[in-house]
Amino acid sequence: MKLAYYPGCVAKESGRELDLSTRWVCQALGIEIAEFPKFSCCGSGFIDESNELLNIAINARNLAIAEAAGLDLMTVCSTCQGMLSLAKVRMEDAAVRAKVDAALKPLGIDYRGTSKVTHLLRVLVEDVGLEAIRAKVKRPLAGLKVGAFYGCHLLRPADEMRWESPEEPHAFEDLLAALGAEPVLYRGRVMCCGFPIQFVKPETAGRIAGRQILDAKDHGADAMATPCPLCHISMDAYQGPAAKLVGRPLDMPIFHLPQLVALAFGASPKELGFSRHLVSPEAALAKVPPAAR
Amino acid sequence: MSADTVSVTFDVYRFQPGKEAVPRYQRYTLDLTPHTPVLTGLLRIRDEVDPSLGLRYSCRSAICGSCAMQINSKSRLACETQVGPEVERHGRIVVEPMLNQSVLRDLIVDQSPFWREYEKIEPHLKLDPRRPMPAGKATPMTPAQVDRFQGTPRCIACAACYSACPAVSSDPAFPGPMALAKLYRFAVDPRDAAREDRLVRIQTEGLWLCLRCHLCTEACPKDVRPSERIRDLKEMAIAVQGATEHGSKHAVGFKRNIREGGTLNEMKLVRQTFGIFGMLPQLPHGLKIWRKKPEVARRPHPIEGQEELEGIYRALDREGDR
Repeated sequence: MKLAYYPGCVAKESGRELDLSTRWVCQALGIEIAEFPKFSCCGSGFIDESNELLNIAINARNLAIAEAAGLDLMTVCSTCQGMLSLAKVRMEDAAVRAKVDAALKPLGIDYRGTSKVTHLLRVLVEDVGLEAIRAKVKRPLAGLKVGAFYGCHLLRPADEMRWESPEEPHAFEDLLAALGAEPVLYRGRVMCCGFPIQFVKPETAGRIAGRQILDAKDHGADAMATPCPLCHISMDAYQGPAAKLVGRPLDMPIFHLPQLVALAFGASPKELGFSRHLVSPEAALAKVPPAAR
Repeated sequence: MSADTVSVTFDVYRFQPGKEAVPRYQRYTLDLTPHTPVLTGLLRIRDEVDPSLGLRYSCRSAICGSCAMQINSKSRLACETQVGPEVERHGRIVVEPMLNQSVLRDLIVDQSPFWREYEKIEPHLKLDPRRPMPAGKATPMTPAQVDRFQGTPRCIACAACYSACPAVSSDPAFPGPMALAKLYRFAVDPRDAAREDRLVRIQTEGLWLCLRCHLCTEACPKDVRPSERIRDLKEMAIAVQGATEHGSKHAVGFKRNIREGGTLNEMKLVRQTFGIFGMLPQLPHGLKIWRKKPEVARRPHPIEGQEELEGIYRALDREGDR
């Protein structure tokens, strides 16, 4: 399997541990990832707020890069997934397409809409398959209770993202179970992490993040995991302020999805960038029994 | 139970504030055909089993918007939710009052904050006194003008979106998805003379607290798609007034930021949004993040093919807001 790897801005910079662990997992599973230094930012929903058509065109360009290589595009971020998928859906509208094409064609960019936009979570569950995942597990995450946190744009709007039920998704929990972990079901798993207004009104964003973390905690989670580095920023990097805002200690380690996959596949924790987290995952990691010899 | 009915277990939220200390769930079991609406089941409980059950309803036809409640944790209209699929997916039907509004009794909530937000957006046409509508005559609109309303005239004000919204539950300054979708409806009405005033006002009255999580769009029984209309309002507000608030500064700053290098310069964006002095309260926690993730303060590597991106911006980005 070969895919165009779209890391997004955060995985390339402040969320490098996501990029590290993604590469580790892809190598372990024999997924070949092609890299394109031409990829730009997806706009993260913010360019969409200021200029919708520009946002579609930027992402049509990103998609055209993968198309030219004849590859489907794989994201590792719910928001990138949302923005790229949204551009593809909007380009199905002839009027939008004509306007965007008028900007892209003179630059020699030919968008055709032939590449699928997929996320690492979908690749693991749908393309690799849970059976193959189970076969690779060397160190089952037995005893670790993990609350999956999906991130809005992987699921919603459901008629545009065209994947799992936005109320009752199960791909992430299925994957966690295949890794040997115990998935924790809680309402907040499909809610918002607060990130989009972290730089508009931090105290409101923090209350929202804190509420979802508390929900997972009250349902017995030892840790949470997310397929979105923006949710990770909101719930890990800003967990300290969130705890003050909700008035309860949180102490909730937040894993990037591929970190847990790599851990179960036998990677050493040192390779996965845990030291870059603001909330130490030590206590959660200590619950995982060592790999059988 | 006859062949075409199923046994349906309802766990219904019961609470009388002031009379009872805590809410409880009361179980009722009825034999119903799978196509029976949840509302019909609740009315049978009220009429045949327990007349004390409090609920709001009127038309029973998904028109009046009175019977929104949480059914198996999703805000929905009880009159158009059938019992069969709920039982199939959840084994039972948990019925609770809507969220983000205080309970008056059982499934009845106090909707006054919801309606107050609606009144605040002045949901009526404001005409230009110099151009009164011709008396006794309709004002024709073109099909293209009507299309601009998108789904907003379909809204029945059931408050399912208000119940589902995390911004409503976290910040009283947010007007809620319904009020903003209604505001959009007037902001695109060619007969309305207050368009610019409405857009300027809403920038400081909560527009930028929308998280674009699309929970409202999923909850809406009429496909009004409030989150998408709120997005439209944001772009319209910037076009009218430029970026004046943290939210609009962040959106416009992000757009400019990507034009420069093709990929996000995180530190610069924070400065673009808050300004140098506005960044100060963020500094202590920012340093904690920087110690773990020093890249936040570094300039990212520019992408290749930046000139293509620049070409796209030149073609599609309005210069007025640069």
